[in-house]
Amino acid sequence: MGKKDITFNDMAQLNDEPLLSLRVEELMRVPDLGVEPPIQPPPEKWRANYDFSLDGHAAVGVPKPKNEEEKARLVRGFLSGLGKLFDPQNNWTFLKILKLTTDYCMRCQTCSEACHVFEASGQQEIYRPTFRSEILRRLYKRFYTPGGRLLKSFVGANVDLNYKTVIRLLESAYRCNICRRCVQVCPMGIDNALITRELRKLFHQEMGIGPVPVFQKGTRNQLKTGSSTGMIPAGFKETIEFIEDDIGDRTGKKIKIPLDKKGADILLLHNAGEYLSWPENPGAFAVLFDAAGINYTLSSEHIGYDGVNYGLFGDDVEAARIALKHLMVAKQLGVRKVVVGECGHATKCYCVITDRIFPGDLSMSELPRESCLPLFWEIVKSGVVKLDPSRNNFPTTLHDSCNIVRLMGIVKPQRNVTRAISSKFREMTPNGAHNYCCGGGSGFAIMNDFNFAQWRKKVSERVKAKQILEAFKDCLDPGTEKYVIAACSNCKGAMRDIIGHYKLWDKYRITYGGLVELIVNAMVDLPKPFLEMEFIGSE
Amino acid sequence: MGFIVYLAWVSVAVFVFMVAYRALKYASMPLSLRWELYPMPGEPPGGGSYMEEVDYYKKPVHHNRIAGLLEMGAEVFYLKKVKEHNKFGIWPFSMCMHWGIYLLFLWVLLLLVEGIFGLDVILPVTNIIGKIAFVIGAFGSLGLILKRAGVRKLSLYTAPEDYFNLLFLFAIFITGIISWSGDPSFTLSRAYIKEVITLEAAPVPLPNIVIINFILVELFLIYMPFCKLIHWLAKYFTIDKIIWDDAFKVKDSPQDKKVLKQLGYICNWAGPHLVPGKTWLDEAQIVDGGGNN
Ligand code: SF4
Ligand code: SF4
Repeated sequence: MGKKDITFNDMAQLNDEPLLSLRVEELMRVPDLGVEPPIQPPPEKWRANYDFSLDGHAAVGVPKPKNEEEKARLVRGFLSGLGKLFDPQNNWTFLKILKLTTDYCMRCQTCSEACHVFEASGQQEIYRPTFRSEILRRLYKRFYTPGGRLLKSFVGANVDLNYKTVIRLLESAYRCNICRRCVQVCPMGIDNALITRELRKLFHQEMGIGPVPVFQKGTRNQLKTGSSTGMIPAGFKETIEFIEDDIGDRTGKKIKIPLDKKGADILLLHNAGEYLSWPENPGAFAVLFDAAGINYTLSSEHIGYDGVNYGLFGDDVEAARIALKHLMVAKQLGVRKVVVGECGHATKCYCVITDRIFPGDLSMSELPRESCLPLFWEIVKSGVVKLDPSRNNFPTTLHDSCNIVRLMGIVKPQRNVTRAISSKFREMTPNGAHNYCCGGGSGFAIMNDFNFAQWRKKVSERVKAKQILEAFKDCLDPGTEKYVIAACSNCKGAMRDIIGHYKLWDKYRITYGGLVELIVNAMVDLPKPFLEMEFIGSE
Repeated sequence: MGFIVYLAWVSVAVFVFMVAYRALKYASMPLSLRWELYPMPGEPPGGGSYMEEVDYYKKPVHHNRIAGLLEMGAEVFYLKKVKEHNKFGIWPFSMCMHWGIYLLFLWVLLLLVEGIFGLDVILPVTNIIGKIAFVIGAFGSLGLILKRAGVRKLSLYTAPEDYFNLLFLFAIFITGIISWSGDPSFTLSRAYIKEVITLEAAPVPLPNIVIINFILVELFLIYMPFCKLIHWLAKYFTIDKIIWDDAFKVKDSPQDKKVLKQLGYICNWAGPHLVPGKTWLDEAQIVDGGGNN
């Protein structure tokens, strides 16, 4: 189907043909990418059993219903969840924003071009920020408002609802990074990102349907084993020993990473993905905090060592459960505050979202939570650790995590630090609170089921690939190594994708890593560089 | 006299009542989780919040109300975001229509002021404002109708209700123009306003077009709070109460008490990892998924 003639009711088409078949030639052009591998259709054996009818990709991969009862169950579940979204008891957490967003979008489409997904796709209608919102809005009107029941098509309450609409809407809820860049430009403050999140919530909280890596292997796994990675406390302790050895190898320093230290000033929460994929990141924290004399601790308690909270991506109950566990760990340790490591969503979760989930002693005033970035700047500024920017004598650029800049307003500390420790720093455009998402936000970076990774690399991560190439356009020559700073675990996953898929290391010697590694790399008392300029892909 | 005079008073009463009702309704909805968006008014354009500082919770949080008002003003009077980001070229039409509405109400207000206080001195200003309101309002609303109908990417999202709203506005402005063309100094409009103020019949019968013009304005006042056209009120909540609501919670504050109350609400979602019928607080303490998952 051509991108120009799609309508809302096409979402209810009963055939399995995707509403959109993506082709590389129609995607946003990125100079310097060269020839790209084409987009592959899903294999026949997947198509026979799972639904790919939105855009030929599957983030969730809903099994095709086998009979009429299964189809009816999908519609029933959806309608029941839709009602609960608008119920003050069931959805007190976001009802006000949802209701305002549902009632007052002026359909001016001022938000469209702010969206990297819409732009990267070559402006495909199904990815326009308002497309899924408009469908949800019209279905809500049709089934839950007197005006909609009475006036029907006059108020747009005439979108068809069948099991196909439900499945396509579900998949569509995983084609938006919830980065809220579109909200920034909306004259009404309408939140299409929230609609995406509410849709995900409807499907998971009501119907138990969502991407396996985010929920079954994510939140459920974290609550059961202690970590979304499946790492149990004993495994965590072994990892810490490994990191201590690694620190010794890299720096010659013998550092004991503090675990479960009661009364420490700070409980440091890392994303457990760091321990497995980028152990040099928690290692660099240990080196820096040791050198700066920071009185901190990690926790080896169940859940206490994995700061992620994937409930944030679409399940308020799971978010509350994990958050409660983290905050109780901090309370039991008697720390003065919680500092979240280089993980954007966890930082926003603890500094912003959980602020109003729990009362009393878990309020921000009693158990403060902060990002690690201001602390980095405090350390660098104080001069307590001697740093030499010429040790980072290669071009760097900074990718901002949406959670940190747009959703928390933390913009300057990481820049101050980078300018102080990197002699060839340049900004991406746009940056700061107006940055583009890495394309891996809201869980995408860990979602690799079916062919979703292909969609992510080609579409949601595309604008970031363009920004990186533009930032380094004066030094693309492979003779110069370049480093993209991403002070967020999830964003690093996306950087790994982008650099690997578009061969930016092979062609241009562009690699990536965290900010703290770069700080430690600038420490004058280290015998050799802490950073190894290399690229290890995930494929 | 009669119906058309009473309609004026009824329309104002309905408008005031409904706006107050709607505002109360939104204000009394549950306190939502924090969902702010940066930069806040007064912060540097690239961002820079109070959370940029170590131990921010110990430091005073500065809210820049003036910057907030200026930012709101830029949106209300200049439609700044539409101007800067809308790629469909709707800004000139939208500006004209919005200013048409603002000036229309200002015109009616000035007519009332003139009538009540006998302030004839403002008469020329009133007349100019009325004429500008009708012309730009008609131009803007017609332009938006044509834009919406003519551009597929806009028409897909436009419901008949949206066209109706624009047509309604266009009808107000166009009847205003016709009324003005037969009554260049709005003498008859003033006569109608006098009727409304004094509840006494005008000395001369008023032409239908003047009456229709005012009836449309009054019906619009009644209709507005029931449809999307009351978005100016909603905007106060979306922007001031959500996007700019960045203050952190303090123990025992009114917000804290609200959260405690809301944690007592029943969480009835049916997902397999939940136990329906429990309060939110109970649900948050279940770690194993209630044994269902
Ligand atoms: S979300 Fe905002 S910008 Fe987008 S169409 Fe609606 S009112 Fe316009
Ligand atoms: S939240 Fe981000 S990804 Fe989602 S529609 Fe808005 S701009 Fe696009």
